[in-house]
Amino acid sequence: MNTMNLRNGILTIVSFISTILFPWPFTAFFVLTAAFFEPLVPLAVGLFADALYYTPYSGVWPTATISGLALSVIAGLVRRQLRTGTMR
Amino acid sequence: MKRTFLAKRNALLSSANLSWGTLALAFALFVLLVRLLAPNFFLQAFTPAFRAAETIDITSHAFFNSFGDTAALAARNEQLVSENAALSNENRTLVEKEASLTALFGDANTGKVSSGVLAGVVARPPTSPYDTLVLDVGQNAGVTRGQEVFGAGGVPLGIISSVTGDFSRVTLFSAPGAKTEGWVGKAGISLSISGAGGGALTATISRLAGVVVGDTVFAPGPGRLPIGNVVRVDSDASASGVTLLIMPAQNPFSLSWVVVRDTGVAFRNSFPVATSTTL
Repeated sequence: MNTMNLRNGILTIVSFISTILFPWPFTAFFVLTAAFFEPLVPLAVGLFADALYYTPYSGVWPTATISGLALSVIAGLVRRQLRTGTMR
Repeated sequence: MKRTFLAKRNALLSSANLSWGTLALAFALFVLLVRLLAPNFFLQAFTPAFRAAETIDITSHAFFNSFGDTAALAARNEQLVSENAALSNENRTLVEKEASLTALFGDANTGKVSSGVLAGVVARPPTSPYDTLVLDVGQNAGVTRGQEVFGAGGVPLGIISSVTGDFSRVTLFSAPGAKTEGWVGKAGISLSISGAGGGALTATISRLAGVVVGDTVFAPGPGRLPIGNVVRVDSDASASGVTLLIMPAQNPFSLSWVVVRDTGVAFRNSFPVATSTTL
């Protein structure tokens, strides 16, 4: 396992653990950091957070999943742009 | 031929192609599936983790508090020692009183307290991004959807929004989107209280009502029960009403025990809740 893979793994696991152990702003910070390297992590952590805490009732959307999805899409697009830039 | 086919399939499924993000997504989907198919088992599995979070929270508070000013801490220590002696005496009196009350109202070991069910809080804000609580009692203890949840001193906190065999979820009055009918001030002017998230509540009322900072806000229960106080009154000259910012009487961030009671108040219509299958 190379260093980059190890870093991505640690960031992913810490983001998940933070969802249970720490207040949500900490989780948001870890997820933002992880999104730079693993664009799918925000969506995954958002789904996990909603699986843990979301209670469906009128007028409330699963904010964590929606925010995670949005962040994953943005992170994916940014990474694609950066890759294209590097190839030029 | 067969060997070539297997080699190709293995290449597609090799661990080198699986990123941490993909694994994380698969795990999250698995967890979501477990919650939807077996909500009671799901909460049983995660309860130890929630308990660990609570322990870490308490330990970290103690750790950061230890960095306070030494002289102030010494003075505080002396004060606490004297308070401790007084509380020990008071505790002895209360133990006697508790024994008498238990004899009157039932067995404390079963968790039944007067007309309600005593419940431990497993998860609470701000770890939970929504203003919800997870309680360690469910259908097996007699908890049903729509029951009202009370904190210390009989302060109403929210409504049971979903239940499994051993657990239940509470949607607090402060949850975003939650609407509760209540009253404000000594005159008992009725108003619609909205959840603003983060433990806060808001309401809009006519300027003529004369609501001021410090007025008590009440929610329905057995009678009128105080749920918080007006801490700010925002008025806009162009609007006929004023917006009240209400802070709850009990901090939802530090709840450990609550009582669940059936108050007979028809909250289900004004406070839409989930079905038990979508816990």
